[in-house]
Amino acid sequence: MMQGELFKKPIVKPAPSQYPASIEKYEVIIERSKCSMCGKCAEVCPTCIGASAIDIEAYQKPDGYLRVAVPKISCTGISCQRCVHECPDDALSVKLSPQYIALGDARWTAELIMSTWEQAEAGRVSKKYEYRVGDSGGGFDKLRFDFELDDKEICDDDPSNNEDRDTSIVLNKRNDGRPEIRIPIPVYSADMSYGSISLNVMLARAKAAEAWNTFTSTGEGGYPDELIKYKDHVITQVATGHFGVNAETIKRAKIIVLKYAQGAKPGLGGHLLADKVTPDVAKIREVVPYISLFSPFPFHNVYSVEDHYRHVQLMEDVNPQALISVKVSTPVDVDMVAIGSYYAGTHILQIDGGYGGTGAAPDIAKKNIAMPIEYAIPIVHNYLVREGVRDQITIMASGGLRTAFDVAKAIALGADGAVIGTAELVAIGCKRCENCERGKGCPSGIATTDPALRYFIDVDWGSQRIINLYSSWKRQWSHILEKLGLDNIRKLRPNDEVKFKKGRFNHMVHLDHLK
Amino acid sequence: MKALYERYHIAVKEAPTKIKLPPKFLVKRYNNCTNAQECTQACIYGVHEAKEDGKIADPNEELCRGCYMCVLKCPKAAISIGINPEFEKLGNSYFSPDRIKTIYFEAETGRVPVSGAGYTGPFAGPGFDSIWFDFSEIVRPTRDGIHGREYISTSVDLGRKLQSLKFDENEKLVSNVPKTIEIPIPIILDAPFKCGTSRNLQLAVARAAAGLKTFAIVDAREYSSDLARYKASLIPRINHDEIDEFENLVKKSQIVEVEFRGGDVKDELKKVKAINPSALVSCRFIYDAEAPERADTLAKLGGDIVHFHVDDGVVERDPDSIKNAILSVHTYLVDKHNRDKITLIFSGGIAEAAHVPKSIILGANAVAVGVAYQIALGCNVCHENMHSQGCPINLEDGDVELATQRIMNLIGSWRDQLLEVLGGMGLREVRRQAGETGRAMFYEDLEARIFGDKE
Repeated sequence: MMQGELFKKPIVKPAPSQYPASIEKYEVIIERSKCSMCGKCAEVCPTCIGASAIDIEAYQKPDGYLRVAVPKISCTGISCQRCVHECPDDALSVKLSPQYIALGDARWTAELIMSTWEQAEAGRVSKKYEYRVGDSGGGFDKLRFDFELDDKEICDDDPSNNEDRDTSIVLNKRNDGRPEIRIPIPVYSADMSYGSISLNVMLARAKAAEAWNTFTSTGEGGYPDELIKYKDHVITQVATGHFGVNAETIKRAKIIVLKYAQGAKPGLGGHLLADKVTPDVAKIREVVPYISLFSPFPFHNVYSVEDHYRHVQLMEDVNPQALISVKVSTPVDVDMVAIGSYYAGTHILQIDGGYGGTGAAPDIAKKNIAMPIEYAIPIVHNYLVREGVRDQITIMASGGLRTAFDVAKAIALGADGAVIGTAELVAIGCKRCENCERGKGCPSGIATTDPALRYFIDVDWGSQRIINLYSSWKRQWSHILEKLGLDNIRKLRPNDEVKFKKGRFNHMVHLDHLK
Repeated sequence: MKALYERYHIAVKEAPTKIKLPPKFLVKRYNNCTNAQECTQACIYGVHEAKEDGKIADPNEELCRGCYMCVLKCPKAAISIGINPEFEKLGNSYFSPDRIKTIYFEAETGRVPVSGAGYTGPFAGPGFDSIWFDFSEIVRPTRDGIHGREYISTSVDLGRKLQSLKFDENEKLVSNVPKTIEIPIPIILDAPFKCGTSRNLQLAVARAAAGLKTFAIVDAREYSSDLARYKASLIPRINHDEIDEFENLVKKSQIVEVEFRGGDVKDELKKVKAINPSALVSCRFIYDAEAPERADTLAKLGGDIVHFHVDDGVVERDPDSIKNAILSVHTYLVDKHNRDKITLIFSGGIAEAAHVPKSIILGANAVAVGVAYQIALGCNVCHENMHSQGCPINLEDGDVELATQRIMNLIGSWRDQLLEVLGGMGLREVRRQAGETGRAMFYEDLEARIFGDKE
């Protein structure tokens, strides 16, 4: 495929954190009353304590303890402890830092967040943090590729050091005269609206999408003029509120996504709280400022597969060359929805699992409605295989895919690729504090509409971070393919039905069922 | 003139309490702070503020939401944020600190908890955490209840129902249709713990039940004269061998709960009906292995309501207990073709809003909420340890109104969340959700089907 061959991978450039301090895994504490200030510790640890230039004035304050706080130079941790052992006064201790313990959650552990930051900064992983799985106790976190079970192999092998393999996928498999559209990595970036995130973040994501020759999406918040520059890499979303959707924005796009449901709040529709509807947001959405905005659920013109067909046709009437993507979530009958969408003429079926991201959703919905994506992918894949249409539609999985390994596992379970949201935001500094929904929104300047906070994220810096993350991911996918002896990522997707036997299927192992 | 049609509405309003939870985050400023005040700029929640003399004040941890911006922006790396150990000590493994925090929010505001970012918890878990709701997509219409554009009914009926109606040759109804009582939410308030049976707490619970148009269970021995004016909303709970003693209460109540401690139901039903023929009788048992058969016997005997309280007798509940209890009773009655004859109420372990629709989808008609509303009033789930002394729910006369409002806010928030679930599922009324296990997805089923060896 020409597009794939001509494509030149974007260059990884260092994009360090923009803040003077950082969240570190370990911290070193000196017990002041015991310390004789001999300087031994600084001698044995030149990178950490030695470089810290302990503030003597602060050190002489009467409090009992002093934390050795070294901006951005981190302690290698409990496995080293040379400073502790060498200290003649027994005044030092090394422990996990409180922010490391407080950071993250079961799905996005502190390790995953910090490894994502690391990849965004440097374009590769180190062995410092767990970068593959979280700690949620199920789904992707219990699935492994069989080569991962051999611990030695993973330790000896630096995933950053292998040759590049073909990770491209095709988005249009219908052979219907519309463009095939091949993207060099099996991911594009998720629907996030102007309003839920700032314009700078949208632009950073669009720029990164352009660099990787893939896509990002407008979400349901209109199409800001500043994005037009990237129009070949921007998907126009048509959702139930139709905010900022018009013939022009539909005509502009190579891909149109009809959003039927969102995994985080399926069945409930969208909700942008009043605080975030600033005059700028209101203007682009063609509404009144500071009024809560509801996108109803569902499309009231679509109550059957026949209606759905008409809906897809409607888009075709406006833009006959665009690919149609349908974004659905994961109810009991997700397989029926999938086959319905296939017959309605969809090119891409995006299934958004129940644990997906959101700018604001009722907690009861985030946790309790719709099934996790790990179940939905094989259910849909198997059904489409049985119906004999699997190779005519592209399945993109989303909703809770955090790492390159999650994406690879999703593909091994039957998806063609994945749609990535939260990981991109983590790359530009999100800490998953869950405060995106009200007030000024995100204190990190990501999911905000506050005119001052949005400048926290520089467009070039942000796009470089996302470019770096995907560079690192591409390395990991190449590594996985190499380990599995596959020459391209399309071969990772099973052709037949996914059927686990004794906890094993193809290259995959489920730890809970392994016999 | 009375309106012909009234929408059920719970009047929630802000009800802040004096009892504050310990803040979740501990914000520390180390002594290498140089008063650069970057943190005052970085924090949009007001944790770090300068004092009048220009020096930086101690962090106000109550406002911290864990965004780490102060940590990152401090040029001296002098700030740390950690989890407050006092917060982690709250409650127990079942009524976890985060659950308690959520209950406080709901009781304080009456609002639905909403947050950004995706779900943060474990993949699945025991008990209620192993259930996901189905929802409507494309081929089934959804309902828009929460914003009031469509009315979704959360009413349920308490009482016995006939399996069929009989008519004579003149097509006149000959069946004696038993009385049922409709409550507008599938929630009743259970009697408070023994430690909390102060007069004012009973009063607040009774008033909240009246405000919610539902019922509160009250121990017959605690039924003081103050409560008499709320008698239409109260269910006296009477020991099975003390029915005669509380004849007056039986006479003036619409529903009477007879409490059994093991043993079989003998003539208690008849006894209550003899004193007050129009009263509905709820038989309350601690759930045990014989529960399904007991419920079946009562359905055949003509009982109105069976209330199973799931109590493992320990502070740290097994989350599976209530899920298995509801499923076992419901499915047994379905198998015996007696399910629709009787109303099933479950209590013990209803700790969050999602537990209400989950109990119902497993087969309950309604739930009784006890500990949760007491937590809203300050209970710290100390259980047996300190029951007799130092209970934080110490309601003065002036606190009753606030306590009433907090209970109503909690249930109001739970009802709105129930509407979210029903709306998402495309259900027009909660009655249709009872026992609809086909519209729920179970971890154990999906896990076996996808990753296990099940075909």
